[in-house]
Amino acid sequence: MTINDLNTILPLVVLAGWSVVVLLADLWIPKDRKGWTAALSAVGLVVVLGLTLARGGTVQKAFFGTVLVDGFALYLDIIFLVGGLAGIALAYDYLKRMELERGEYYPLLLIAISGMMLMTYANDLIIVFLALELLSLPLYIMAGFARFNLQSEEAALKYFLLGSFASGLVLYGVALLFGASGHTDLPGLVNTMRAGTGNQALFLFGAALLLVGFSFKTGIVPFHMWMPDVYQGAPSPATAFMSVGAKAAGFAALMRVFVTVFPSLSDDLTPILWALAAITMVVGNVLAISQKNIKRLLAYSSIAQSGYLLMAFVPYANAEVSSDSIAAMLFYLLAYTLTTFGAWAVIIQMEQQERRGLEVADYAGLGKRHPWLGLAMTIFMLSFTGVPLTLGFWGKFYLFSTAVEGGFVGLALIGLLTSVVSAFYYLRVVVVMYMQPGDPPVKQNRWVNLTALLAAAVVVGLAFIPGSVLDLALQAVLQLQ
Amino acid sequence: MLADWTYIGIFILVALFVPAIAITFAAILSPRVPGTLKQSAYECGMESVGKSWIQYKSQYYIFALVFLVFDVEIVFLYPFAIAYNQLTLFAVLEVILFLLILVAGLVYIWRKGELEWA
Amino acid sequence: MSGMQIVFLVAAAITLVSAVLVVTLRRTMSSALLLVLTLLGVSVLFVLLQAQFFAVVQVLIYIGAVATLILFVVMLTRSVMDTSEPQVHKNWWLAALVSLVVFVALVVTLSSWQAFPQVQRAIPADSGENLAALGKALVDPNGFALPFEVASILLVATMIGAVYIASERKGEE
Repeated sequence: MTINDLNTILPLVVLAGWSVVVLLADLWIPKDRKGWTAALSAVGLVVVLGLTLARGGTVQKAFFGTVLVDGFALYLDIIFLVGGLAGIALAYDYLKRMELERGEYYPLLLIAISGMMLMTYANDLIIVFLALELLSLPLYIMAGFARFNLQSEEAALKYFLLGSFASGLVLYGVALLFGASGHTDLPGLVNTMRAGTGNQALFLFGAALLLVGFSFKTGIVPFHMWMPDVYQGAPSPATAFMSVGAKAAGFAALMRVFVTVFPSLSDDLTPILWALAAITMVVGNVLAISQKNIKRLLAYSSIAQSGYLLMAFVPYANAEVSSDSIAAMLFYLLAYTLTTFGAWAVIIQMEQQERRGLEVADYAGLGKRHPWLGLAMTIFMLSFTGVPLTLGFWGKFYLFSTAVEGGFVGLALIGLLTSVVSAFYYLRVVVVMYMQPGDPPVKQNRWVNLTALLAAAVVVGLAFIPGSVLDLALQAVLQLQ
Repeated sequence: MLADWTYIGIFILVALFVPAIAITFAAILSPRVPGTLKQSAYECGMESVGKSWIQYKSQYYIFALVFLVFDVEIVFLYPFAIAYNQLTLFAVLEVILFLLILVAGLVYIWRKGELEWA
Repeated sequence: MSGMQIVFLVAAAITLVSAVLVVTLRRTMSSALLLVLTLLGVSVLFVLLQAQFFAVVQVLIYIGAVATLILFVVMLTRSVMDTSEPQVHKNWWLAALVSLVVFVALVVTLSSWQAFPQVQRAIPADSGENLAALGKALVDPNGFALPFEVASILLVATMIGAVYIASERKGEE
C-alpha cells in the first residue's frame, strides 16, 4: 500500500476511517445527544464529497489495477454521497420520533456508502464481491433497526436471507469465471475472452450467475420478491436510503462488469436482458396499481424503475449505442435518486407512531392543508410518471431513445405503455391529496422539509437544462471505456 | 507432503477404534444383572424436572459471534506471522491498521456492556 | 485405485451423505451436528488438494467457530427437538432438478474442455513457502492489501450488527 495507491482512493479511505471514528465517538455521546453523531457523520460526508470533487474525473488505477477511479466512479460517488447526506437528514428526526434513536445508524450508513463507493471503483471481481458485502451488511441491519417491531424484524430477516443467497450466486459466478479464465481482474478476463483461451460455456454460466445476483440487489423481476415486504417493514429512512443506494450500486456493478467484460456474450445475453426488462416493467407497474400502502406502492414503483433502467441496458454490447445507453442510465439514476429521496421525505413527515399514516387514503387533504408539501409530492409523483417539466421526463426520454437507437422498438413500446399504466397509481396519490377532504397530521422537521423542497426544486430546475446533465453523464461514460 | 497427513489419518482411525474396542469388550465381558434401581437415570438424588432442551440466553450467541470475528482475524494474522521476516515496514503498518480497526469493534462491544455476563 | 483415490471417495461420500442429512433431518440439533461432519469432510478434501492451510482454517473457523455459533443458535430456538413441521417444501423436486441440471452441465463442460489443464496452476511443493507467499500477498499493495483492509471494516460492521440485533438492551426498556 504505497502512498500513491492510498491517494488515489483517498475519499474512500477517509470515509471508511471516519465511519470507525464516528462509531467510537458515538460511544461517549450521551443518549439524548445523538444529533452530534448525525452531525459528525454529515461533516464526514461533506468532507469526502469535497475530496471526491477535488480529485475530479481523471482516470487513475491503484492497487495493481484492482481499483479504477474514473468519471463513471466520480458521477456515481456524488450520487451516493449526496444520498448519504439526505439519508442522515431523513433519519435524525424520524429515529427520535419513533424512539429508535441509537447512534449505530450513522456509522452503518457511512460503511454502506463506503461499500457503494468501492463498488464504483471495482476493477476486479474480488473487489466487486467485497463491495457488495460491505454495502449489503449495514443495509440488512438498517432494515431491522426497529428491533422490537415484528415487521421490521421480518424485513431484516428476508432481506438478509435473500441478500446472502444473491451474494452466494455472485460468488459462484466469480468462481466459474475464474475457473474459465484463471483471472478475476476485469482486464485479464477481457484478454482471455479476446484470445479465446477461456471456456465459453463457463463464461456464459458465470455471467448469468452474476446477472442473477445483481438482479436480486436491483430488484429485477423475477428476483424482486423481497422488495415489497422489506420496503414496507424497514424504517422509512432506511428504505429511502436502500432503495437508492443498493439499486444504484447494483447497476454500477452491472454496467462496469458487463460492458467491460461480456460484450462478446451479447448474442446469448441480449434476449435474456430483453425478457427481464420487459417482465420487470410489466409486473412492477401492474402490481403497483392495487397497492394501498404508500411504502408498498413505492416498492413496486422501484421495481418498475429498475425495469426502465434495464431496458436501456439491453443494447449494452452495441459499441455505437453503449455509451449513450450508460449515459442515459446514469442520468436516470440521478433523477431517480432525487425523486425518491424527495418522496420519502414527504412520507416520513406523514408517518405516525405504530405505522399509521402510511395508507394512500391518509394523504387526503394534504394538498390543501400543507400546500408546499403537497406541491413537492405532486412534483415527485409527476417525475416518477415521466411528465414533462420534471427531471423524470428527461430521464425516461433518454432511456426510451437509447432503446430505440439500439433497435429495440418493441421494448420501448412496452416501456411507454407501462408508463401510461403507472400514471394511474402515481396520479391517484395526487388526486387523493387535492380532491379528498381531510386533515392529515404532519410531523414537520426542518431537515426533512429541506430535503423534500430542495429535491423538488432540483427535479424541476434541472429539467430546464437536461442537456448539460446528460453531458456530465456522457463524460463519465467516455472515461469508463 | 501428503505422507504427513497419513499419520494424522492413522491417528484418527486409532482414536475412533480404541473407545469402540473398549466398549465392545465391556459389553461382551461384563455380567448382566438388570434391576429397576440400576436402570434408573439417577441412582440417587432427585428426578430431573422438565426437559433438558431449554432455550438458551441470547448472550451466548453474541459471545460466539464475537469469538467468530476474532477467529477470522487469527486466520488473517497467521500467514502474516509466517511471512513476517520478509515483510517491509509498510506491510507491518497495514496489519497494525487492520488490528486497530478490529480493536475499534472490540471497544464498541466493551463499551456497550456486552462483555459482561448478565 | 490408489490410496489417495480411496481416501477421496470415502471423504466425498461422507461429505455428501451428511450434507444431504443436514437438510433432510427434522431435528435441528442433529442437523447442526451433521454439519460439523460435512465441514470435516470438506477439510479432508482440502488436504487432498494440498491446500493444508485451508484445511486447518476449515477446522478452526468452520468447525471451531461457525458450527459452535450454529449450535448456540439452535439452542436459542424454542423447540429444538420439535419434529412436527414438515421438512420438505412442496417444490423440492424442482430444486433437485435444477441442481441435477447444473451438476450435469458442469461435468459435461469440464470433461469436454480440452484446454482445462492449461488453466490449472502448479502448486509450490513446500507448504511453508506457500503460506509465507500467502502472507506476503495479503499485505502486498499489488496483491490483496485492499481486500485485506476492507475485510476488517466488514468484520466491524458484522460485530455492530450482531450486538445491535441480539443485545437485550439492558436498562433501556
